[in-house]
Parts: sequence; structure tokens; C-alpha cells
Amino acid sequence: MFLKSIYNEFIKIAAKPRSYLGLAAVTLLVGVILFAMKADGLSFISFITASFEQTLSFEGNILNGNLIAFLILQMLIIHIPLLVALVTGDLVSGEGAMGTLRLLLTKPISRTKILFSKFLAGAFYTFLIILWLGFLALVVGRIVFGTGDLMVLNSDGLVIIQEPDTAWRFLSGMCVAYLALLTVATLSITLSCFSENSIGPIVSTMAIIILFTIIGTLDVKIFDHIKPFLFTTHMAAWRNFFEDPLPVKEILKSAGILVIHIIVLLGIAVFKFNKKDILS
Amino acid sequence: MIMIKKTIPTFLLLFILMLPLGVYSQRTANQILNGLYNKSMTTKDYSADAHIRVDLPFIRMLPVDATIYYKQPDKFRMKSKGIAILPRQGFSDFSKSIRDTNSFTAFISGYEILSKTNATIINFIPGSDTSDLILGKLWIDANKNLVLKSQLTTKSNGTILIEYFYISQIIYGLPDSMIFTVDVKKFKMPKGVTADINNTGTKDSAPAKDPKRGKIFIRMRNYKVNKGLADSIFN
Repeated sequence: MFLKSIYNEFIKIAAKPRSYLGLAAVTLLVGVILFAMKADGLSFISFITASFEQTLSFEGNILNGNLIAFLILQMLIIHIPLLVALVTGDLVSGEGAMGTLRLLLTKPISRTKILFSKFLAGAFYTFLIILWLGFLALVVGRIVFGTGDLMVLNSDGLVIIQEPDTAWRFLSGMCVAYLALLTVATLSITLSCFSENSIGPIVSTMAIIILFTIIGTLDVKIFDHIKPFLFTTHMAAWRNFFEDPLPVKEILKSAGILVIHIIVLLGIAVFKFNKKDILS
Repeated sequence: MIMIKKTIPTFLLLFILMLPLGVYSQRTANQILNGLYNKSMTTKDYSADAHIRVDLPFIRMLPVDATIYYKQPDKFRMKSKGIAILPRQGFSDFSKSIRDTNSFTAFISGYEILSKTNATIINFIPGSDTSDLILGKLWIDANKNLVLKSQLTTKSNGTILIEYFYISQIIYGLPDSMIFTVDVKKFKMPKGVTADINNTGTKDSAPAKDPKRGKIFIRMRNYKVNKGLADSIFN
């Protein structure tokens, strides 16, 4: 019954046009970035490395598929939460708005299991989004630009990672990025339990992300104590896989904080959903 | 007579003491540079395998293997499977810059012993105000026409110090290894393009011993000198 419920929830997601909006948006955005890089990527690279190129000469294929994939992930990982929240924020409140929640809860399955099936369907949708992004960034990027060493651009300098060393870093980075997106999905599902319409949870999720991101970037001492606990601080943890040496402790810490967020948010969602009044 | 007897050993001693200085002084700075240039002209072209190790404060990368190609007068190309970094100065542009002795003023500024070799220190200043080079300083083994060390101060790149070590290709004046010391004070990464907005401060921020300078070590092997290189290699 639980598996069937998950299946049903996923069918519901697949039946909504807005679910394809995310995939289409990712495709379009990646297409635009690939086109821009193909047209004028070299000047973009020389702008970035300008301060080094006065003294040093870079040889080799810098503008390759690995760099393009990294740039795509860097540009889009921040914006993809909106596309995820667009679908997951509607999972519970959408049922309420359409009036199907009462019918759903008459099924011989506990409310907790119904919520978990929604969560797992949302998690699967999030997985598809990141998988599609990874495919476009890595596979299509490598087809268009070829492969080569990866030059990672950090605020404190350059890290050059040799080509054979990139695949596992991308794979691991995508896993952490997925964990970050899953946190956003869980947040929107939780907010969805508190709302009767779809717009509220979606907008609230984005508002929280924007607020936390601003707090994270503000260089004010008063926020220093809370910054490490904001999930937005750890949304860019996937980048740590492109550091040398690999900051394993930081990666584990970030993953741990994201998992804790998921568990806590899911706990709140279960509590609220079980208490949800469907009679009025 | 006694006076002459006393004076002769003093003169003799002075003569012996000044003998090395006299030998060095036999050639002017321009003559030494000409000798250096003529030696560099014996190398029409070469290719060599290079092992490059970068130790710069703002760049982290593993050592890279590359192949270096050079052809007179100033064709230079490095080919590598991955991304390799080389200093902009110090390879092909050296013989070009000392070719025209009228374009700069050169003078011997002293002598120094470098790796048990007597080195003549030559300073050269460009005649033109528009030149990028501000001051050049060369430590030259005048007997073998080899540059042992060079220090070039330019407007655009700051100061670059290069140490040359010769073993196998001493006849052509081609080094087997080089150590480039470069100024890194101008290296700044534009934060906007790195999009590292959620930097959690994970990087090792321990200050380097000398954060303003970095080194590039290059070891050259398998020199193929004057074997003929096609122009297409440099395209």
C-alpha cells in the first residue's frame, strides 16, 4: 500500500504541467550557457584569469566540458531550489486547494505514510532534476567542449584538478547538491502542510532561502553564530569536492547539518499533517 | 735600491690580487652579452620534455608534464595533455631582448660566486621610456657564455627571478632545470565571477611564509637540438 501510495504521488507530479517546467527551465538555461560559452567562452576565461596572465601563461584546453559543467552547476544550483519548490510546495497544499485531501485521507493508510509517500515522490522528482542537470552539464558539455583538466575558480585562487580526478568529484558533488535540494524540497513540503494554497509554500520557501542567503553573505558579527546552522550556508558544500586538499571534515559537517534539517523539517511536517483539520 | 726592493713585492702582490679582476674586465658588458647572444644563436630549434611544478600562493595544482618547442627567432610553444602553467618571461624572449645592444645600456655591476662559478653581474637598462622592462640583471658565466641567474623587473609583471642549472646541454646554453621566482602580489580573483558566495571558510587560510612570491620549478629532459621543427607545430 505504501509503495502504491508513492507511485500514485509520483503519477500526480508527472500529471502536472508545472513539473515539466523545471526540466524545461534547466534545459533552456543550460542551453543558453553552452551557447554563450561556445560563442565567447575564451574571453570569459581570460577575464577570470587576467590577473594571472600578466605573469603566467596558461597552456592546454582550459575551456573544456569539465569547466563548463562546473560553471553550470555553480550558476544553477542556487536557482534550482525555485524549480524544486514549485512542485514540492504544492504536494500537500495543492490537495487541500483542490479538495482532494479529504478523499486521500480516507484511504486505509496512515497520515504519516501518506506524507512520507509525498516526500519520497518529491525526493524522486528532485533527483530527476539534478540528474537531468548533471546529464546536460557533464555529458552534453563534454560533447560540445571536449574534456580536459578542470580549472576551479575560487575567491582565494585557482585549483587545477587533473582530468582523471574529476569524475568522482562531480559525482560526489552532485550527491551533496542533491542533499541540499532535498532540504529545500522538505522545507517546502513542511510549509505546504501549514497552507491551504500552493503559492504560499512556494513563495515562503524562496523567501526563507533569500533571507538565509543574505544573512550568510552579510559580514556582520551578530550573525556569525547562526551562519553555520543555516542550511543555505551548506547549499554550496558541493564545491568542497573541488578543493585541494579535500576538506572531508567540512563536507561531512555540511552533509550532517543538511540531513538534520531534513529530519527536523520532516518531523514538523508529520506532526502538523497528523494534526491537520480536514473537517472544516 | 732598498726602496725599489721594498716596492717591487708590494706591486707584485697588488698585481696578483688584481689579476682576476683584470681578466674579467677584459670583456665589456656588451661583449659578454654578444658572446651570450652568439651562443644562443647556435640553437636553431629544440624540443624537450618539461616537468613543471608550481608552488604559487594562489594556485594549487599537481606537477604537469609537457613538451616544449622552440624555433628561432622567437617561436615558442608548449604542448601538454592537461593545463600547464609557465611564466610569461624567461624562455624565448631572452635572446631577443639582448640581440640589439644599442637598445639598452649595459654595465658590469659586480662579481659573485654562484654554485662555485665566478659570475659576472651585468645590469642593463632599456634606452626607451616606453619599454616594459625597467631593469635587467644577469649573472653570467663569462667563460662559458651561460646565464646562471637573471632578474627582470618589468612594469607589467613585477620582478621575475630565474635560476638556471646546466648539465647535459651546456654546449648550447640550454638549462636542464630552472627555478622561476615570480611576484604574486597582483593576483586577485574577481569574487563576482567565482560565485563563491556561500564560502563556508573551509579553506586553509594559514599565511604562507612569503605570500608575495611564488616559485615554478621546471625540469627539462630529452632535449632534441637542431633536429628541425616544422612551423606547423607553432600554429
